[in-house]
Amino acid sequence: MSDSSVRADSVDVEQIMRQIRSRIRDKRGVDYTEDQIRELANAKLERFLDPNGVRSGLFEEFRRQPPPATYAFEDTTLFDSDKPLIRFFRKLLRPLLKLMFNPNVLSSTLHNQAEFNDYVKGLHPLYFELMHNLVLETTRLAIEVKNLKMRVESVQSRLEFNERRSRALEGVVQYKPEALQRQPPAARDNDPRTEPQGGTDPVTGGESLRTRRRRRRRGRRGQPGQAPGAAPDASASTAAGDEGPDDDGPDNGEAAADWQPGPAVEAGPARDTASGSPAPDRGDDSGGGSAPPDSQ
Amino acid sequence: MKVAIVVQRYGAEMNGGAELHARYIAERLARHHDIRVFTTCARDYVTWANELPAGPDDVNGVAVERFPVVHERDTRTFGRLSDRVFEHVHSIADELKWLDAEGPTSPSLRRHLESVRDRFDVFIFFSYRYWHAYHGMRATDRKAMLVPTAERDPAIGLSLFPPVFRAARAIMFNSFEERAMIRHAAGTDDLRGAVVGVGSDVPETTDANRFRQEFGINGPFAIYVGRIDENKGCPELFQNFQAYAARMRGQLQLVLIGKTLLPIPKHPRIHHLGFLTDRQKFDAMAAAAVLIMPSYFESLSMVALEAWALGKPVLANGRCDVLKGQAIRSNAGLYYESYGEFAEALDAIVSTPSLAQTLGRNGAAYFTRHYAWPVIERKYLETLDRIAREGPASRPMDPLPGFFARRRSELPAARNVLSRIPSGPSLS
Repeated sequence: MSDSSVRADSVDVEQIMRQIRSRIRDKRGVDYTEDQIRELANAKLERFLDPNGVRSGLFEEFRRQPPPATYAFEDTTLFDSDKPLIRFFRKLLRPLLKLMFNPNVLSSTLHNQAEFNDYVKGLHPLYFELMHNLVLETTRLAIEVKNLKMRVESVQSRLEFNERRSRALEGVVQYKPEALQRQPPAARDNDPRTEPQGGTDPVTGGESLRTRRRRRRRGRRGQPGQAPGAAPDASASTAAGDEGPDDDGPDNGEAAADWQPGPAVEAGPARDTASGSPAPDRGDDSGGGSAPPDSQ
Repeated sequence: MKVAIVVQRYGAEMNGGAELHARYIAERLARHHDIRVFTTCARDYVTWANELPAGPDDVNGVAVERFPVVHERDTRTFGRLSDRVFEHVHSIADELKWLDAEGPTSPSLRRHLESVRDRFDVFIFFSYRYWHAYHGMRATDRKAMLVPTAERDPAIGLSLFPPVFRAARAIMFNSFEERAMIRHAAGTDDLRGAVVGVGSDVPETTDANRFRQEFGINGPFAIYVGRIDENKGCPELFQNFQAYAARMRGQLQLVLIGKTLLPIPKHPRIHHLGFLTDRQKFDAMAAAAVLIMPSYFESLSMVALEAWALGKPVLANGRCDVLKGQAIRSNAGLYYESYGEFAEALDAIVSTPSLAQTLGRNGAAYFTRHYAWPVIERKYLETLDRIAREGPASRPMDPLPGFFARRRSELPAARNVLSRIPSGPSLS
């Protein structure tokens, strides 16, 4: 509870518990509350589970099976009666009855059966609870799997994006020595950082690197899977502080020295938009919040 | 004053709540009055087997007299009778049979109490629900004082006990919740006594590092101290902690201290250390980040008080009225009623040192204010003085019904009676 404020000398336990409960209510995803999981397990099981695997009406079906009837059976039950007169005669004639057969065995067997029924009846709620807990846990696991899948997709897209960017950077760096050779020596001596801005692409034969970058950005905008909200123009995007992916942008301090610094470098610490927590150190993002589409 | 203390088991090695409570009170009152303890030869609270020799004994300077138990507890019979009186309409005779099955049944103890009745000014009985207290209080009528150590379980709904509560010269309650429950069960607010509880012999200095070195425990840990038993909510604690360890960040461990009656799950972050000496126990509590009390039924929880005395926060089961009430009144502990609350509250205490320190500080202040020995002793001495001034009670205990009335099955199931007793912490 890192966000709970605790004053040194005054703690109100009830207030803290209210905060904790509200925090639990606010949580979603993996940390569903017990009640929510129960609700999901009871009502919407088929949304999370394979209906062929676990039936959502399992509880109700189990509940419909009545537990065995229970009754008390003691050694006097056979001869008991509400009417005192009948009870008296039965008691009187019991020795005669015992001459014909042994009722004690019958009493004992039925007594054992009654006890067994009690035992089975006691197990019934246990089975129900066990099944109930199993279905709850299955639901919880299904939700966790779903969330983990989303996280894996998010990490995968982030990885692909980083790979694309690293490939682009490698491509840019290999032009640098040739471009330097084509520059007038005076210009190189004065300011090496001006070279890429005004330099010409050795491959295209005269087209400036900046023009080529701009054209590549335009080309990427048309590609599927592009980050939503990417600015139509790279310079406008940078000026507005948009931190969309830029294959040619400065990626670290050294690279930034070669490229024209933009306002994006000044951007504050990135926040993971999915979790609301500070994003992990991405190192080369230039304050970079180029969050992959799946994580938004 | 000559004061007799009557308790189901007594000895230096008895670590049960009521027994330890009785020993502490006996040893403290022995500094002011002539104290004699009457108890049974039992050591095991389940079987009541006669394991200690009958006759006089001396425990830490207090004179003790032990009496044999006539039969051990038959758990099957006791279970059957418990089901009858707790769940079904029944008779007083059924309740008396239940009490006899529960034990510790010691007619020689009752006879002895009758014979020495005039030689003592007051008899202090511990644990209302056992045979020795019910029959002993009847044998020493008008001179009996009660420390009920009552929990919110169906036994409080039995019809045997209200006359006992009403006849006690004074009832020394452990908590406000216990007082409210007993008042309701007895059907009257006119019960004399006080909310007292019990102190604890907490050492002035503890050494957390000594414990860590001795048992090889590194890193932060939560601690549970007491009998590891289903009745104490331990299975739920294991379940909650395993889920917490799997889902929450951090490396918090769980250390269990006490005799176990349950299989303990094999988990790399759960350590069972068994029964420890008092010195080791207090060192362990000093090293812990938090004490967890998962019990549903407590009349006080001395362990929670000891944790507070050491300035440690407590995480308690919120379904136990007493623990929840204590946590709120002291502002020294959090409570939970579900896994979500358990995980969040535990995480709050462990990951927010300022919160843990403040809760611990409040706990220490609460212990000093209400449960330090001078406070407890003063309350007992004042009550004894009052009883001595007033002399024996003028009104006797209500007699048991006659032979036929005792066998009439018309008493409601004890669990139904319990359900009508208001629950929740007493905060007013």
